[in-house]
Formats: sequence, structure tokens, C-alpha cells
Amino acid sequence: MPLLEVNDLTTYFHTRDGVVRAVEGVSFSLERGETLGIVGESGSGKSVTCYSLMRLIPEPPGRIERGTAMFEGHDLLQMSQKELRKVRGNGIGMIFQDPMTSLNPYLRISTQLIEALQTHRDIDKKAALHKAIEALEEVGIPGASKRVFSYPHEFSGGMRQRVMIAMALITEPALLIADEPTTALDVTVQAQIMDIIKQRQNDLGTAVILVTHDLGVVAGSCDKVLVMYGGREMESGSVEQIFYRPRHPYTRSLQKTIPSLQTKGQELYTIPGLPPDVSKPIHGCAFFPRCPYPKTDKAEGASPELEEIEPGHCWSACGFCDSSTPIESVLAKAGEVAEDGVPASAGEPA
Amino acid sequence: MSATTGNPQEDFLVLDDVKTHFDMGTTLFTRESKGVVKAVDGVTLTIQKGEILGLVGESGCGKSTLSRTIMQLLRPTSGHIWLKGRELSAISDKDIRSERINFQMIFQDPYASLNPRMTVLDTLGEAVRTRHPELKGDALRARVAELLRTVGMNPFQMKRYPHEFSGGQRQRVAIARALAPEPELIIADEPVSALDVSIQSQILNLLKRLTRELGLTMIFISHDLSVVRYISDRIAVMYLGKIVELGDAETIVDHPLHIYTKALMSAIPEPDPNLERNRHRIVLEGDPPSPMEPPEGCKFWPRSPAGHDERMRREEPPFEEISPGHWVSNCPFCVADNGAS
Repeated sequence: MPLLEVNDLTTYFHTRDGVVRAVEGVSFSLERGETLGIVGESGSGKSVTCYSLMRLIPEPPGRIERGTAMFEGHDLLQMSQKELRKVRGNGIGMIFQDPMTSLNPYLRISTQLIEALQTHRDIDKKAALHKAIEALEEVGIPGASKRVFSYPHEFSGGMRQRVMIAMALITEPALLIADEPTTALDVTVQAQIMDIIKQRQNDLGTAVILVTHDLGVVAGSCDKVLVMYGGREMESGSVEQIFYRPRHPYTRSLQKTIPSLQTKGQELYTIPGLPPDVSKPIHGCAFFPRCPYPKTDKAEGASPELEEIEPGHCWSACGFCDSSTPIESVLAKAGEVAEDGVPASAGEPA
Repeated sequence: MSATTGNPQEDFLVLDDVKTHFDMGTTLFTRESKGVVKAVDGVTLTIQKGEILGLVGESGCGKSTLSRTIMQLLRPTSGHIWLKGRELSAISDKDIRSERINFQMIFQDPYASLNPRMTVLDTLGEAVRTRHPELKGDALRARVAELLRTVGMNPFQMKRYPHEFSGGQRQRVAIARALAPEPELIIADEPVSALDVSIQSQILNLLKRLTRELGLTMIFISHDLSVVRYISDRIAVMYLGKIVELGDAETIVDHPLHIYTKALMSAIPEPDPNLERNRHRIVLEGDPPSPMEPPEGCKFWPRSPAGHDERMRREEPPFEEISPGHWVSNCPFCVADNGAS
């Protein structure tokens, strides 16, 4: 049995201006010790997916419309508040993007670290403090026995995020949800933080859900990837399948837009248009209006089904475009017409 | 004047040993100095017309302070800045406002840098009138429409307020505002780091195209070397208020000399799982030291994975030209061939 099995998770926000379909029928599963990367642009529903699992969606206006999320045999989405309190911070830990706003500025780090232990474990204060110092040492904070009595503002951004990791993992949860844990940090510090998360994951056998918009971070640390767009799953599979054999036009386009150290001189590929407005119902494939692939004659508006093309590798099989060809040849053809000079693949005349 | 200094009369922008220090004041009773933050501590740099210079470094390395010093939003503590032969650092505070229309800035957060109560027409119109105060009515509107088209937006959007736009569009408006007074120098401070990946590339392409078409000169500040490499002609790497390496974008990325540059580069995650797993990373320990008490000698020694010795901790390494156009803070430990690249 997988540690976490999410099926058809759907979360809507019922606002005055209409229904915002933030997450629409997302499914995935996660084994113990595995890392799942959820990738997508802002508004693609990746954070709402995580908040739904933790039941941190403000209700109203938010509502989890349907779906199940089986965590260690219990459905997170059906739990009472009392049961949830036992899971949050104990079975599931969470790290947020901005470590300054998620730490209480009035309380010493020690108080905040001990809180989770005292809530969930039968432990006296002295032993808890000892564990807190250990936890800080494990995330590489120098002088932990002194720094544990500091206030959050006395730490730099990277150090604060380390404190957050120590706090989330102090109860040795089976699952850690990390929502953009390194987005607010420098690249050098980002590398340090990702190393610490990986190392603690190895020590404790924790499964991790890593939400990010950075495909580079995903490539370095995930086993599985879920690509989201407009609140829906576009493609999912192992990290090799997604990076080396992407099928969905969105996944392929996203990979093309990233400036990497390998990109030289030529103009970057851009996806035309804007991400979809999820407050309006989306018919058919969410990526359809921005898709660079030639359209087939199949009727627009039918919802694409998830199709498994190889074991564990699913994509939202939209039939509107003929997506069997690699994106380079599509762009090469498009490049003949496009005035902005979309880069053509090497060897093919643009 | 060191060898790197350009000729203020010929070169477009020349910085000579620019220092910007912040005095933290004195304590209340004992009147002891609380110390000085040396945010920019001796930067010498020459930028040619039409060039895009990338400025990279971690937070706190002084890149934003340097850009604000060039903008004369902060006046340098010492050193000189010349723009087209005019010494900016000698112009009085009163006259600097009128000078500033020649150099404009694009900020990181387009949400915070546009006035939410002004329409795009008001925002851009105001900026246009700094250069052409006589423009109004239809002529002004025509100019604003032209600006919006330049940044790839539709002129009918000029009556809208910032909140009606997405992040990418807002950044386009901010770029249009920077272009409005027809500046010659644009300083872009992390202009894409708040944007989504798919939007990032649109803005990068736009900035690159505009600099070429309008003959602008740009200083592009970012902590992300992959973005900087794409857009820049030359790259300057900053650490603790000083430039540690300077050279052509290709040279800096393909043949970096200083271990700090190498570490910055190896920290960038590449979107390729196999490459990532087998990669040799140079991991820097901890955070950059406080600019209030910078280490003596080579400023990098407390974090250097290559080790250090007594001399390196005492003597400041010289900034030397290793090959034509490629300058590095030549510390024997940091610049040694330490295997990884």
C-alpha cells in the first residue's frame, strides 16, 4: 500500500465572481521514502493541492468538492478537525516558501521547535529541548545549543529555512510537504537547503512532496514528477520519463523555455499567450490556446483522458493536436512564419 | 587610477574605485561607533555604449547598492562615476534630478513599483513628460501607445490600472516606463526573478531585443547565472562589495577562474536528471560574511573550499587581467586549478 494515494482531488473556491476551479481531478501516489515533484506555473493549482491535503484550505470560500487522499490507510479529506490535529506536524510536516512569515517573530526558536514535540509526544521539556538542539545540529546550524534560544530575526533567510526544516522533521513525520522551499533563497543557499532535505530524507525515510516551478530543482531531487497546468494534471511519470521522453506539448514547451547554462546566443523559446484563467470553465485541454502543435480535425471541447503510454507515465491525451512529433520539428516549421525568430533545431533550416 | 579604469572622456560609463559605505551611527551613551557597512567597497568598471553587463552575486554582495549608486539614488562615499564624460558624482543633489532621466531603472517587483492608483496612461505619460514636458492630449497618448507597442502590449490597455494586468504584463509596463524618458542607460535589478518561468523568457527576449534596437546600454542584475549568461555581453561577479571576476559572458561561464564563480555556477540546478545526479558540486559553507566586518585579505577565505593560508588572510589579492578582457581577483588559492568547472 502506498503511503499516500490521492484520487480525483478537486478543490473549488466559491467566490463572489464565480467558481474558481483551482484543482480539478488530480491523482497521484507516493511510496515511503519517495520524492514527488509537483511542477507548474503560478495559478496551476500546485499549492492548493498541498493545502487541500493538509486541509488548510480556508472554508468558505474554498471547498474540497470530491476525491480521496488515503494517508496510512485513512482518508485525510474525511477526517474531523480532532483527527487532523494528530496528523498535522506529526504524520505530515510542512515547509512553506517564506520562512519569515511562517515563524512566529515573538517566540524563541526553542519554544517553536518544542511545541510540536510536546503536542504529539509524551516528553518533558528538558528532553524536548535536547531533541530541538539535535534537530538544529542535523540541519547544519553552527552553535545550535546557543542559537536555539535566538529569535527568528536573528537568522538569515537560509538559516531560517533550516530552522523550518528542523521544525517540520522534529517529529520524524512519514511525509514532508515542501511548498517552494527555496524560491526565496539565493542559488548557493538553495543548493545547501536541497542537500539538507535530501540528507534528512535518507536518514529518516521520509517521503517528500516538493512543489516548485524550477525544473532544475526537480531534476536534481525527485523520483516522480507531476506537471500541472490550469489546475489539472498534464503529465506524470518518473523523472527520466518526464525529462527525456516528455509527451505533452506543455511539458515539452516548458522545457524549451528554460534558460540553462547550455543555451547559447539564440533567442529563448517562449510559450505564446498567458496561463489560463481558472475562474472560467475550461473545456477540453487547458493548454489548447497556447499549444504550438498543429491542430487535428478532432472536435474541440471534448475532455482529454489520462492515458498511460508506458508503465507509470501518464499524460492528458488531448486529441486536438498531433503531438507525436518532437517539439523541435514543430517549432522549426513554425519558425518559417514566426517573425520573432523562434529557434529552430540544429540541422533544420529555419 | 588602476589599470582597469577606462577613459572618462571616451567611454560611456566609467566607475573608478567607487565606494558606498553606510555609517551605522554611534551608540547612545558611550558615543562609540557602531561600525560601517561597506556595501560597495572599491568597484572599478567601464561599460561601453550598447553593451549589456550582467552583475551577479548572492544577496548582500552589494549589487543593488552599486546600481543605486550609479543611479545616484545613493551618493558614493568616495570614488568617481562618469557617464558620457560628465562626472555624475560631482553633480549637486539639486541638479541630479534632471540628469536622472538619462538613466532609468527596472525593479524586481512590478506589483510594488507601479502606482496602483494610476492608469498605465498616467504612469507612462508622466514619464514621457519628464523628457518632453510640452506633450499633452493626443500627442502624449500617441507616444504612450507607441511605447506600449514597443514592449509588446496592445495600446487599448492604456486606460487600465496595474491590478488588471498579470505579472508579466506589469513588468512590460515597468519596462515601458523606463523607456519613456528615452534614457541611454537602463539598470534592471532582478527584473525576471518574480515572474513565472514561461513569462521569464518572454521578458528576457524583450529586454535583449530592445537594447539592440534602441541602442541602449544595460546593467542587468541577477543572482541567476543562467539568466545572466543568456542576456549579457559581459559578466561581472560581485562578492562582499568587490568585483571578483569580470569578462565576456562566454568566458565567465565556460572558463571561470575564481572558485566563487565556479561555485555560483555549480549551484544552478540543470533541468537534466542524469547530469544533476552525477554532478560535482562546489558547495559553499554558510552565508557570506557580514559586510560590517569583512575578512582581511582575500575576502573569500572563510568560505573557500580550496583552503587558505596566512598570506591569503593578510594580503588583498590584486585584480589582474589574466587573458585579454578577463579580469580576476588573483588569489593563489581561489584561482588555482581546483578541478571542478
